[in-house]
Amino acid sequence: MNLSDSSLALKRISASPEPVAPGIRQNPEIAKLVDISRCIGCKACEIACKEWNELKVEPTHNFGSFQSHVDLSPDTWLLMRFNEVEIGGDVKWLIKKDACHHCEEPGCLFACPAPGAIVQYENGIVDFNQENCIGCQYCVAGCPFDIPRFNAETRKVYKCNMCIDRVEAGLEPACVKTCPTNAISYGTKDDMVLLAEDKLEVLNNRGFQNAALYNPEGVGGTHMMYVVPYGDQLEEYDLPESPVAERGAISALGAIKTIGAFLFGAGILATALHYLAVGPDTPDENSHGEG
Amino acid sequence: MARNELQRHSYAHRVVHWTVGLSFLLLLLTGLAFSYPSLFWMTTILGGGAAARVIHPVAGIVFSVGLALMFFMWVREMFLGQLDWKWLGAIKAYASHDRAAVPPVGKYNAGQKLFFWVESILGAVLLLTGLPLWFPADFGGDFLVLMRLLHYLSTLGAGLFLIVHVYLSTVAYPGTLRAMLYGRVTAGWAKLHHPLWYKEKTEH
Repeated sequence: MNLSDSSLALKRISASPEPVAPGIRQNPEIAKLVDISRCIGCKACEIACKEWNELKVEPTHNFGSFQSHVDLSPDTWLLMRFNEVEIGGDVKWLIKKDACHHCEEPGCLFACPAPGAIVQYENGIVDFNQENCIGCQYCVAGCPFDIPRFNAETRKVYKCNMCIDRVEAGLEPACVKTCPTNAISYGTKDDMVLLAEDKLEVLNNRGFQNAALYNPEGVGGTHMMYVVPYGDQLEEYDLPESPVAERGAISALGAIKTIGAFLFGAGILATALHYLAVGPDTPDENSHGEG
Repeated sequence: MARNELQRHSYAHRVVHWTVGLSFLLLLLTGLAFSYPSLFWMTTILGGGAAARVIHPVAGIVFSVGLALMFFMWVREMFLGQLDWKWLGAIKAYASHDRAAVPPVGKYNAGQKLFFWVESILGAVLLLTGLPLWFPADFGGDFLVLMRLLHYLSTLGAGLFLIVHVYLSTVAYPGTLRAMLYGRVTAGWAKLHHPLWYKEKTEH
C-alpha cells in the first residue's frame, strides 16, 4: 500500500469553529512500533532526527548516565532515556524512546486555543504549525507524556512531527530509516499491532512473561507504540500507566462558555429592553432656581 | 468650577478608574479571542495571536495594580449600612425610576457598593487563576483546565456587572459619565441620584 496517500488530509484542527469536512477516501492510519527488546542504545535515531529536521546541536555533558541529553528541548525532539533498573539481581536498561506518541486523542490539540496551531492528519500524525502558535504553552500542560517544549526566544512550541515531510513522500521517518537493529518498525497501524503480537509471542517464549504492547486507551491509542519486555514495570520505563487526554474537561469548559455567551448577550438585551421601557432618568437642573 | 457644579471624583481617582477600565477592555478583547475560536480574529487588531498572548498577562498586571489602588482609595466609602439594606429592598422602585419610593442615599448607593465588592473579589480571583495560566508549563493538565474554568467564570461575573455599570453611567443616567471624565457633576444630578451627599456638600 502507498502510505503517502493519506498524509495531508486533516482530521482535527485546534480551536477551530468549523469542524473538518470529511473526505470520501478511506485513509489508512500509520504508526511506528518501537521494540525496546531490540534496542542496543546506539542513539543513531537521535542523530538521524537532528539531521533530517535540521535541529541545532546542543552540547551534552556527563551526568552519570549513558543518556545523551538530560531532557527533551525545542531542538531535541527525540531522546533515548536510559532508565537503569535492578531486576532479578541484574542492572537493566529500560530504555524509552522519548518523543511524541502521536495520540489518537491528542491532549495538546484539545488544550490549544490558537486556530490551526495544532493539526491531526488522517494518518494519525499530530503536527504543530508554528506560524499559528501563539506561545501560550497550554499544549505543554495538556500533553499526558510531557513532550512539547517551549522556545522562549521564538515563543513557539516544538515537538516530533514523525517526519511528516518524509511520510508525505512515501518514506519512513528518519529514526526508522536509520535504526541498525530494526528496533523501530513503520507501517499501517493495523499492521503494526499485528507485528507487535508476533513480537510479544517471541518475547514470551524467551521468558519475558510480562512483555506488553504500550498503546494506552486513555488517549485513544497512539501512533508510536512500544513493545516493552517488562510490561509490569511501565513506571520504570517512564511510561505513564494510564495517560488521559483532558478532552471531557475541555468540552465541559466549551459548554460553559456557550452558556456564558448567552448570559452576556441576555445582559445586553436586558439593558436595551430596560431603556425602552423606562428611558433615561434625566436630572432637572431648573426646578430649584439655581439654573 | 461653575456655581451649580459639585466636585465628585479627584484627578487621582479618575486616572485609577480609567487605568482599570482600559486595561480591562484590552483583557476582554484578548481573553475573548482565546476563549472563543470564532472571536480569534480580534487578536488581529492587536498585532496577531502571539502579540495578544504577550499583551494579556501584562495588561493583567496593570489591571491588578489599578484594582488594588482602586480598592484602597474607595474602600472606606463602600461599607454597607442600614440605609443600604433599605435601599436594596426598594431596588424595584429604583429600576423603574420611582424616586419617591427609594430611600435617599449618600455619595454611593448600595448597588454601587455591591459592584465595588464583587469586582474587587472577582479581580483577585482573576489574578490568582491568571498566574498559572501565564506559566502553564509548570502545571498539570487538569489543574490548568480548572484554572481556565475559574478564570472564565470570574470574567463572566465581572462582565455581567460591567454591562449594568456601563449602561447606568452612560445612557440610563445622563450626566453621570462627566463625573468620571471631568470630576464634576451638576447640582441637579446630585440632588436626583445622591440627595444626602448633595446636602452634605452644600450645607455650610
